[in-house]
Amino acid sequence: MSITPEQLRYCESHEWAYVADESSGIATIGISAFAVAELTDLVFMALPKMGQTVTAGSEFGEVESVKAVSPLYSPVSGTVVEVHSALVDKLDSLNVDPYDEGWIIKVKMSDPLELNRLLNWDAYQKQCSH
Amino acid sequence: MKQSGGGIPTPGLVIVDPPRSGENNMAIDEALLRNANSDWPIVLRVYQWERPTLSIGHFQRIEDRETIPNLSDLPWVRRKTGGGAIVHDHELTYSILIPKRDDQPTKGHNELLYRAIHCAVADSLRALGWNARFSEACKNKTPCTMKTINGKNQEPFLCFLRRTPIDLVVGDDKILGSAQRRSAAGLLQHGSFLLRRSQSALELSGLLDASKGSSAEPTNREFDGWIDFLVASLMQGVSQLYPTHWYNGSLDDLFGDVKEKDVTSI
Repeated sequence: MSITPEQLRYCESHEWAYVADESSGIATIGISAFAVAELTDLVFMALPKMGQTVTAGSEFGEVESVKAVSPLYSPVSGTVVEVHSALVDKLDSLNVDPYDEGWIIKVKMSDPLELNRLLNWDAYQKQCSH
Repeated sequence: MKQSGGGIPTPGLVIVDPPRSGENNMAIDEALLRNANSDWPIVLRVYQWERPTLSIGHFQRIEDRETIPNLSDLPWVRRKTGGGAIVHDHELTYSILIPKRDDQPTKGHNELLYRAIHCAVADSLRALGWNARFSEACKNKTPCTMKTINGKNQEPFLCFLRRTPIDLVVGDDKILGSAQRRSAAGLLQHGSFLLRRSQSALELSGLLDASKGSSAEPTNREFDGWIDFLVASLMQGVSQLYPTHWYNGSLDDLFGDVKEKDVTSI
């Protein structure tokens, strides 16, 4: 898998979603390079469990950077089908590659149309520049 | 430091709270962030604790307190903010809530708030003759913050044994540390201003301990003036980022007729 930021859909809260195969209905979710840069040194991440239900716009995890705890919001609704558990032990990889090595969870979407509410790359770039 | 906005100042509510239990103190701050909305003022709350209490950072393991003598006997509570554990004894605690507002840009303000608060307290201390400065200017490297190694956090358990570049130190001792929790509704920043050494954490010196040049014996009453000092400094720090019209009040101003004991369940 090789993901480029231009391919992704974004939340205003800086999480991204990527659907490699629309027929699978599975979205890969992570956080943007902008978010990683804003958070600075990441020290902890709490992730959901496999099978957990997530809702678009609701928290699915938490990340601690230096001394700030921030929530992670899901871009889509559905069921967690895969968790990148190894990421917790190599959070530095988010600084290097937040889009491939830095994916966080995969979600079987209950409503793929929710993707249409997310920002495309141009709109997200515009938000980050404000 | 630039101010973020001009025009109409943001209202800012100052609450000097009486001492409460650890559970109540943390539950109130959680309720502040949980209920924050764009119609709320900025909230500055300064408070103490009914009895010495250990608060641990959101991701810390309570089992790790066993590594520090004397901590096991303290009641403890978990904070929603990050960072290391704090012995709330001879210290003052603050919380600042910055509700998210559409007309108030906050991008990048998280660290700026941290820095603005510490800078304001440092300026106020220096005006009183204390040699207060950021940790990044401190040449003493021990004890110090250790980086994450192989994904495991190797930092000291206690916040005041850790160092980030913008922690506030006097001499070699950290006397002000802060931590944050961010949400879609706003930003909550906690901080602890250490005034005196606690019997539960003898390795930590407070601002007023004899090693800082003060020969006065510790008394509870000596903290009264420092509450005013901290409130004034925090107001100044917040106002650096958000032009603020400050007024004094209480939790009733936010939670209305809800009984105080029920605030924590809102």
